[in-house]
Parts: sequence; C-alpha cells; structure tokens
Amino acid sequence: MRRSCAVMVALAALTALSAGCDPVKSDAINALGGETPGVRNGPLHRPGQPCTLCHDGEIGDPPAFSVAGTIYETPADASVAAGATVSMLDSVDAGYEAGTNSAGNFYVTPGQWSPRFPIVRVVVSSVGGGTVVTMQSDVGRNGSCATCHFDPAGLDSPGHVYLALPDGGTPP
Amino acid sequence: MTARPIIAFAAMLASVAGCTSPNTGATVTPEAPPQDEFPYVAQLMVHRCGTLDCHGSVYRNLRVYGDEGLRYSPNDPNARPCIPASTTGDEVAQDYDSVVGLEPESLSTVVANHGADPESLTLIAKSTGLAAHQGGTLFHPGDDAYVCMTSWLAGSTNTTACLDALPLKVCGLPAATSVDGGAP
Repeated sequence: MRRSCAVMVALAALTALSAGCDPVKSDAINALGGETPGVRNGPLHRPGQPCTLCHDGEIGDPPAFSVAGTIYETPADASVAAGATVSMLDSVDAGYEAGTNSAGNFYVTPGQWSPRFPIVRVVVSSVGGGTVVTMQSDVGRNGSCATCHFDPAGLDSPGHVYLALPDGGTPP
Repeated sequence: MTARPIIAFAAMLASVAGCTSPNTGATVTPEAPPQDEFPYVAQLMVHRCGTLDCHGSVYRNLRVYGDEGLRYSPNDPNARPCIPASTTGDEVAQDYDSVVGLEPESLSTVVANHGADPESLTLIAKSTGLAAHQGGTLFHPGDDAYVCMTSWLAGSTNTTACLDALPLKVCGLPAATSVDGGAP
C-alpha cells in the first residue's frame, strides 16, 4: 500500500514536471504578461486573454474551464459588455448558457458543460436581448475565444468578440 | 573460413548504403483528382477542418484557407474571416496544393484506382476516426461529407453532397455562394 502510494506520488510529480516543461505553453503564458495592477486573480482578471491556456486542468494550474472568453461592446474600443449572455450548442445538440461579469468575462467549467466539439452555434446577446449576434463559424476544438479572436483583426483573426458596430449595426 | 570476409564486406556495403543521402532533387508528380471540382471540396474543408483553432492556422501541416477561417490574400490586407464572405480562387488553389501535396504517392494510387480504398489516405483516415486526430471524427462513411470527399477522389465530385454537408448559410450567405473561387 505504502509502495503504491509512493509510485502514485512520483507519477503525479512527473506529470506536473512534464507539464511545466512544455516550452511552447510556457512561452505563450509568459507572452501574456503580468496581472493588471489592482486586479487580483479571479473572475475579473485578464479580460481578452486566452483563458484555457492556464485554465486547462493540469496539475498545479488554476481551475479548468471548458469554454471561456470576454465579450466587448464594439470592435474599436475596450469597453466590455457586462451582463451579456453567451448561448452555445455543441455537435451533439447539448447546449449551455453563460453570462458575462463586470469584466466582460464568462467561463464554463467542465462540471457545468463539457462540449463535444465542434461547437456549432454561438449566440451572444446584450442585456435584455436588444442586440443578438451569431458567430459565423464553428468552434473547432479550442475553448478560449481569444485563441482566435485576438487583436488586431487580420487575416488570421476577426478581432475581439463584440456586440455592435460603432454605428449601432451588428457584426457580419 | 572464407565466409567471414564476405559477411564483413556485405556489412560494410550495407552500412555505406545506409549512409547514402536521399536524392534531394527527386520529385513526384501526383495523379491528382480534378481541380475544377475542388471548390466544393475546399468549402467543405473550410467549414469542417479550417476553423482558426484547427487547420485554419499557418502552423498546421495541412493548412486550410477560406472564408470562415484563415485568409490568403496577398493583395488585400483588409481581408478578414468572413470578409469577403466567400472563399476566393487563390484560397481554393492553396487548399488544393495542401491536399494534393500531403501524400502524393498514396493519392496517386487512390486516384489511379478510381477512388478505391480512400482510407489509405491520412486525410480520410483522420477525418473518419480511423487514425488519431485531435479534432476527432468529422465524417462517417456514407454521410454527405464523406461522399463529397471520396467522390472527388474517385474523379466525379458529388457536388450536391458537398453542399448538403454545409450549413444553410456560411458567413451569413447561402452556402452555395461561398463556393465562389474557381467554381465552374
């Protein structure tokens, strides 16, 4: 019993060590920079960043998220959309709805919903449902919005997720 | 007694042969499936494979460009996912090269055999779940997507199946509109 326990501890340590040795992941996390002064670790931190890079469930990391991201008001500025609703539907018709907090962040834990990728429908609506935006493509396999939706918009990114164009229209 | 020197000589020859560099000038001209029908296959791949978090990434060996994901637009820096809202001819050409260049010898064999044994291609083996694929199983034998891909490999693309495998709208427009670049 004592021996099998020791083996398990050794295996766990090895797993943690190997996770910490992933240079690609380490570089990506380092590239995110430090915390914003005055904002502590928690639901309001790091809006707009690829959440599941750290929140991936590996040993020693923060709690795992299956899907998480940040919703903004418009494409041009950094005003976040608090109180928005993000409705998602996966490839086996299982859905989940999450709300954004005052930082514009939303997050879903695997215990709440573990989507079977691809997520085939994502609809974001503003407080009261006045503005409704439907994502134009599937989410292939990555639960972080910001993995694809990063700034600046370009050939490989539509830019951050936003609810309305500056003129009040909705995104394409 | 005389066998030892012969064995030693043979071993030496084998080791020299093992050190021979590959012929860097060797090329393969694949017998490829038709390019004129590929826009339908390309659009299917753009939707099913080419999201920005999967093969719509320059870091993938099989790189897929298209309207729903990564754009290939040397002359239009303002291009974005879904802008313009159709896959362009340049993107279809890039996708064709991606697919045909993946396993040219195996592809040639499948095409020469009129599409027989498509699962021998990694492209089909991965997408049908026969080979490990981080994106999971995307097509099932007999479904529209599978028929689209394999009919193209057989030389006669079932364009109806290709369109039926897409959602009704792509980038806000009817799916058929997205099959734009180079469509016959």
